[in-house]
Amino acid sequence: MNKLFPTQEVGSLAKPIWRIQSYTGKSLSRDEINEAVHWGRTLRIENLDELVKLLSERDFAGKRRALLEWSAKYAIRFFETAGLDIFFDGEQWRSEMYEHVVRKTAGFKFLGYVKSFDYRYFNKAACIDKPKYTKPFYLDEFLFTKENTKGKMKVPITGAYTLVDWTFNEYYEKRLSGEIIDFKTRKFKAKEEFLFDLIKEVIRREISKLVDAGAKWIQIDEPAATTNPTEEEMKLFVECFNETVKGFNCIFSLHNCYSNYEILAKHACELRNCSQLSLEFANRDSRQAGTGNERTGYNAIGSFEEHSFQGNYGLGVVDVHTDFVEPPELVRDRILHVARTIGDPSRICVSPDCGLRTRTWETSFRKLKNMVLGAELARKAAA
Amino acid sequence: MEGLRKKMIGCYVTGAFPRPTELIRTTRAYERAGISKKRLEESFEKATESVINAQISAGLDYVTDGMLKWQDLLRPFTENLKGTTVGSLTRWFNNNTFYRKPIITNHIEREKDVVTNMICIEKLPKNLPWKAILPGPYTFVSLSENQYHKDKAELMFEFARVTNEEIRSLAEAGFSYIQLSEPALVCEPLAPKSRKDKLALVNDVLQIAVKGITTKTSLQTFFGDFSKILPEVLDFPVDHLGIDLYKTDFEKLKEYDFERGVALGLLDSRSSLVEKTSGLVPVAEEIIESIYPSNIDEIFICPNCDLDFLPWEKAEEKMKTLKSVTQSLKEEFS
Repeated sequence: MNKLFPTQEVGSLAKPIWRIQSYTGKSLSRDEINEAVHWGRTLRIENLDELVKLLSERDFAGKRRALLEWSAKYAIRFFETAGLDIFFDGEQWRSEMYEHVVRKTAGFKFLGYVKSFDYRYFNKAACIDKPKYTKPFYLDEFLFTKENTKGKMKVPITGAYTLVDWTFNEYYEKRLSGEIIDFKTRKFKAKEEFLFDLIKEVIRREISKLVDAGAKWIQIDEPAATTNPTEEEMKLFVECFNETVKGFNCIFSLHNCYSNYEILAKHACELRNCSQLSLEFANRDSRQAGTGNERTGYNAIGSFEEHSFQGNYGLGVVDVHTDFVEPPELVRDRILHVARTIGDPSRICVSPDCGLRTRTWETSFRKLKNMVLGAELARKAAA
Repeated sequence: MEGLRKKMIGCYVTGAFPRPTELIRTTRAYERAGISKKRLEESFEKATESVINAQISAGLDYVTDGMLKWQDLLRPFTENLKGTTVGSLTRWFNNNTFYRKPIITNHIEREKDVVTNMICIEKLPKNLPWKAILPGPYTFVSLSENQYHKDKAELMFEFARVTNEEIRSLAEAGFSYIQLSEPALVCEPLAPKSRKDKLALVNDVLQIAVKGITTKTSLQTFFGDFSKILPEVLDFPVDHLGIDLYKTDFEKLKEYDFERGVALGLLDSRSSLVEKTSGLVPVAEEIIESIYPSNIDEIFICPNCDLDFLPWEKAEEKMKTLKSVTQSLKEEFS
């Protein structure tokens, strides 16, 4: 794309209320149906009557699938209407980034809820056998999205390192328990084996299907990348990325957020075929406009540059954890500040910090529209 | 030779238990405003009973209340001390769990008993000794954002004084064992240059924390390699030193003679694989024999860190393993 400061989204978008309610088999309230109609009109969705009819119907086989496709269509149109240059489908086909993959892969078993923080928990699985690919888990949504947009697509997928880090490793630890006495060495070796088996047996197979179906750009989501900031673990993370993308005729990028960027920066240039680092910065930044010392949130860019990262930045200029709608001028200044810091505006792709699933559609829409306006202001200023 | 092998072997837990399934359900319902505070309290009480019973059944030498209410290790202090406020969600060391960062905005002071008020004392068994767990000063300060004190050392000493008062109140309430949890000491890298000074500072800080204390005390490390703080840690003013064996280099550990008791984190709280007793006993034996060439001392067998990384059912199973491993070792070293 030759346009300066292209805009993109990072992945998830909230599931519409009419879909969530209908999924549970509940009949919808007038307000909920109105919500579907309101967004349908805003997004100029064709054949809206069909959706309204579907929403009023009783449960039947195939209703969920139909709802899913409607919500994916809405999400695609949502990003298009907001004016983004690069997008996908708001991950409407996925329950959640971890469960979606684990449920569709053999060798895993969910053990139940463990603590995340406060009264929040997550359903954690154990690997109980060698992971085995049973069926595609991203292909259908890719084909659907491809069919429903002419825009440039970026397919977000969950990285193997994160899947492994969030899973109990029973199978490999057990296998090595007779072999390696030292617990620390055993655990690391078990993690390594799990990781590379998962990449080979599952992740690469799926990527291969996506590439064959025409995917040109895959974004690997690795929120756990710097969870274990030791040299040994970071080396493992880099190997994991490189092994995942090896040999595919496709562009790859990495998304990582709410992490230790000092550590990631040290290793970013070792990532092969990583055309873009999509990172969260707005969350760390002040809300005051300006391109100087106000931009404390973007200090970490300096570390990536110092460590000679030469790829592009998916620059987080919109905070996804607050309802504050960034004014276009703030977005513009964040972009211009970084453009000056790195000295090459062509390396910036304008992004939210992360997926927008925790915000309402209303807020997400306003945020993205302002992001697009801000990028336009930055383009004018840079011209 | 026979006499040399004689050791006191015991067992206990070193952190929070997972919330049993029913309690998880109630806490989630409470968050969605589906149930009353009273229902939530009742659910906590019931779960605390289960957790205490699991410890009694496993034959633990010291019993805790399970710390089910603790949102994170620091939270009771973050929320209740004067001079601290609750900050943003932050990753809890190398885990996929999060704590809320304490923001230090003034001198920190106790306005009331923090930990004593947090524990369900009335549920603890009268016929067994009680243990309480607190964050150590180094860890509390490392994980806080200091907006007030001139440096971290000053804040650490202040927190140590608070800790001392806390321990005194716990002792008065009937606790006979106090653990200070110090994951930050082994989890974060210590720069080679400042390492010695830092450990000397921690020693001084701990002296303040345990001054005049008559209960047993321990310093529990986890998530990192204990050998990184050897040999300085052997001079720390506590009765027992806790080691996460799943993160510690065995060979380096064996290079030292311990003249202090240890708490061996022999069960992995971060793995759902339930260990076999026969796989753990020889490892424990080898470590015990090599770090105690002659001295008779106290050894506790324990999970390497909080059991709340596991679903409740797995934690229960691990407690059974803890019991059988301890029994085997008791026989071995009696």
